[in-house]
Amino acid sequence: MSLAFDDYGRPYIILRDQGSKKRMKGLEAYKSNILAAKAVANTLSSSLGPKGMDKMLVSPDGDVSVTNDGSIIVEKMEIQHPTAKLLVELSQSQDAEIGDGTTGVVVLAGKLLEQALTLLDKGNHPLKISDGFDRACDVAIKHLETISEEIDIQANEHEALIQAACTALGSKVVSKRKRELGKIAVTAVLDVADLARKDVNLDLIKIQTKTGGSVEDTRLISGILIDKDMSHPQMPKEVKEAKICLLTCPFEPPKPKTKHNINISSAEDYKKLYQQEQQYFVDMVKLVKDSGANIALCQWGFDDEANHLLLQNELPAVRWVSGTDVELIAMATGARIIPRFQEITPEKLGKAGSVKEVQFGTSNERMLVIENCQCTKAVTILIRGGSQMIVDEAKRSIHDAICVIRNLIKDNRIVYGGGSAELACAIQVLQYADEVSSVEQYAIRSFADALEGIPCCLADNCGLNPITSVAQAKSRQLQENNPRIGIDCMELGTTDMKEQRIYETLSSKKQQIQLATQVVKMILKIDDVIAPDDY
Amino acid sequence: MSQFLQPTILLLREGTDTSQGRAQIVSNINAVQAVADVVKSTLGPRGMDKMIQTGPKVTISNDGATILNLLEVVHPAARVLVDIAKSQDDEVGDGTTSTTLLAAELLKEAKPFIEEGIHPQIVIQGYRKALELALEKLEGFSINIAKDSAQDKRDTLLKCAQTALNSKLLANTKHFFSELVVSAVEKLDPNILDRDLIGIKNVTGGSVTDSFLVDGVAFKKTFSYAGFEQQPKRFENPKICLLNLELELKSEKENAEIRIEKPEEYQSIVDAEWALIYEKLEIIVKAGAQIVLSKLPIGDLATQYFADRNIFCAGRVAQEDLLRVQKATGGQVQTTVNGLNPETFGTCGLFEEVQVGAERYNLFKNCPQSRTATIVLRGGAEQFIQEAERSLNDAIMIVRRCFKANKIVAGGGAIELEISRFLRHYARSVTGKTQYIVNSYAKALEVIPRTIAENAGLNSIEIMNKLRQKHAQGDEEGRWYGVDINGASGVCDTHSSFVWEPTLVKRNALCSATEAACAILSIDETVKNPKSDQDTKMKPKGQPGRPPMGMRR
Repeated sequence: MSLAFDDYGRPYIILRDQGSKKRMKGLEAYKSNILAAKAVANTLSSSLGPKGMDKMLVSPDGDVSVTNDGSIIVEKMEIQHPTAKLLVELSQSQDAEIGDGTTGVVVLAGKLLEQALTLLDKGNHPLKISDGFDRACDVAIKHLETISEEIDIQANEHEALIQAACTALGSKVVSKRKRELGKIAVTAVLDVADLARKDVNLDLIKIQTKTGGSVEDTRLISGILIDKDMSHPQMPKEVKEAKICLLTCPFEPPKPKTKHNINISSAEDYKKLYQQEQQYFVDMVKLVKDSGANIALCQWGFDDEANHLLLQNELPAVRWVSGTDVELIAMATGARIIPRFQEITPEKLGKAGSVKEVQFGTSNERMLVIENCQCTKAVTILIRGGSQMIVDEAKRSIHDAICVIRNLIKDNRIVYGGGSAELACAIQVLQYADEVSSVEQYAIRSFADALEGIPCCLADNCGLNPITSVAQAKSRQLQENNPRIGIDCMELGTTDMKEQRIYETLSSKKQQIQLATQVVKMILKIDDVIAPDDY
Repeated sequence: MSQFLQPTILLLREGTDTSQGRAQIVSNINAVQAVADVVKSTLGPRGMDKMIQTGPKVTISNDGATILNLLEVVHPAARVLVDIAKSQDDEVGDGTTSTTLLAAELLKEAKPFIEEGIHPQIVIQGYRKALELALEKLEGFSINIAKDSAQDKRDTLLKCAQTALNSKLLANTKHFFSELVVSAVEKLDPNILDRDLIGIKNVTGGSVTDSFLVDGVAFKKTFSYAGFEQQPKRFENPKICLLNLELELKSEKENAEIRIEKPEEYQSIVDAEWALIYEKLEIIVKAGAQIVLSKLPIGDLATQYFADRNIFCAGRVAQEDLLRVQKATGGQVQTTVNGLNPETFGTCGLFEEVQVGAERYNLFKNCPQSRTATIVLRGGAEQFIQEAERSLNDAIMIVRRCFKANKIVAGGGAIELEISRFLRHYARSVTGKTQYIVNSYAKALEVIPRTIAENAGLNSIEIMNKLRQKHAQGDEEGRWYGVDINGASGVCDTHSSFVWEPTLVKRNALCSATEAACAILSIDETVKNPKSDQDTKMKPKGQPGRPPMGMRR
């Protein structure tokens, strides 16, 4: 920051570390902010759409991830610039709210900022621009609602849901198998959905990954998969008609929480103590056995003695099951979690069709599958794939698909993808712009241009000529008055997205436009940046 | 130059920085100007935001007090500005930027007098006199809304909230948020209007217009143990038990030690510990509680125990949330379960756990004693929500103040101009130097409309001339003319266009700005001790070492 001098010729020290702070004001600040944010958006723009490319990100510890999920890319880029960080948060909040469309929202924000920059160069007041964007946003949202269509999620074996899931999966590495994965995702969500309340608790869908095999081997387990095996190798590998006893106490002699020590003064006492300890194990196993349970899952560890006794009593058991798994199992099997052995009763046991240990490939690793649970409220998707990177990316893709389905269950209105919705909004906004008499007109028109940027970007990523294809689509939309004309990314020979069955949720599109506008408005309102010099 | 030949008399420790006399006052005034310049562009409905990075944290704000606070002002005179902004913020919550600007402008006007050799005390006296008259006039001009019907009063509150939100990020959704804020304040006890009872919760994601008001209390799902998901998540008219008690299996006393002589006794100790916790849980269940909230942790054992009995529980509830639940539901926080009385339980119309964005929230709605409200704010980025929260805070404070004070004036610089006109008029009747000073005070007041116009990109000179002309007519009609940022002419009657502010805000702004200006004017010497060693790191670069200046005159 510049220094002022007083009458003695001394500099003013008004702020702490004044010399090492940098201040940018006015147009300089807008431009630097916009450029930084645009840089982020540009990085993501090549990931948009079904033919979008992936990014390889290497973390400081050398972990490699390959993804085209916008929110993950910006998160792993470790962006320092404060304005660019706003875009990171933008993407993440889209992820949190909707779960899908994280790339699109950033690209749209980037396009809007690009337009704002030209407007600023023409000498518009930044707030007039942001006002204009705001009004245009309202128009776009209203139009989205009018062109949206309600779909019947129940019809034709949830065909619509599967299609929507396919659209979400289409841009991912697993797009080859999108139909299968889409079906898995739909079944998983419907299994846990509370259709009456239109609520889906995503915590109940567990996504487990395991490298090896191929993506085709991915399957849905209507039950729970836990990465554990039986506590003793000789225990039976499969239990049919399982009655599960869920314990949160270890198979060990109980210990008081208060600090204690035992003074043993004679050999008899020692023997007695030993006997009593042994007795504990016998009692414990007996209690479990008596309740009718034929398998015990325990949150804690077993004493070797106990393990041996369990084997002798033919009671298969699993130890060190994590807390979240215990909870999921409880939900799925209708079991009650039992905090101590004395409280075991037959009613508290959970029921499942089978509990079995499965082995994958030639590796020695085993997992435990609990299937056909009494009240299947929790499901697991087991994702397989050639390498850790593929598995991770598949996991993220399925997560996106699950989110889309959840949103459709909440709100069954859809718009068509392929850039058609954006184009339709752009046309509407452009019309509205001509009716505005004030300076905002220019901003509104620019907003329409920015919206057109999305189909442009899509076409570009698919190797089409962006200008020709967008111009064609736009003119057809106007001529046929059909808001479903978009970009034929997959080259299926039709640009009608209804025929291509590219569904996107209305809530996601709305959210994208609203969030992007909001963040752009915020960036435009900053005219002064005060930061440490090194940034 | 002759004094340089005299031996220097060292009075103070080496490195001590002193400066005094008229030049010191001028230098302080300049420092204040520099600080006021930073916040200047945030004033008014077209005010801009500042982005300030402190360490890894980035704040984007339009709130004068927040910006000044984050600037880390170290200049002693300039700190006075920071303090008045803060006191304005604490007292009325809004108008921090205008207070700062006014103080700086008053000092700027005083500078020529000081330079010309008028004694600072005379300036101070003049300013005090002017303030007195200004306040008197302010009261006279303000419009009383107490007599109005409830509906009119609500409208007024809405208008005031909108004016406060005008300059903020939320300006475009001000109608939505003013409604939210006014409804929230109306929920409070009209006699106390305790600000703490309005909770603001931030959830990223969603559009700002997805924000909503919970007529009662809402807080984020607390950390939960296994078994929590098996608890019911929805109750109608539940009995809510509030505790400040740990429900966990643990040692009762920290340093206790047990000596066990016989192996048989071992089991009894274990059983005793279990018995202790079960006893507590049983009392709660027997008393009929359906929701158990505790400030301290509720362990996994208790969670599962409650789940078995269809009771909802949440541990580690934040203090302020628990307090709000207490107020809203009419329950009482218990520190022990011994003699737990169902009468201490609170209740509410509906309890529900819902998903908001990526978070799960516990909502307590339709509380019988609804003396609290919670605003759940949604928005794109973290910084956005934080700024929205600050803006809402301003609006809440304004509405609260307005609720109490019942008096309003028109904003947009109208009231400042009207007082300014009156002071100019009055100055002519004064003899002596005070005439100039009162005149300067009047001139300083014009900074508010001028800055609003400048920030909106209007021609401020033209606007000021138009406004002065309107006000100079001196009748009722021209009184409320202020800056209009939307219209073509640039001026309008801000009273009829509903730019309203509580009188209290203006009153406090005038008082504290004048006080601050007077305080700075009355400082004629600064003695700054040399920084101690650990501070030298923080010593700004570019400050050349200077010899002690104590004896230079």
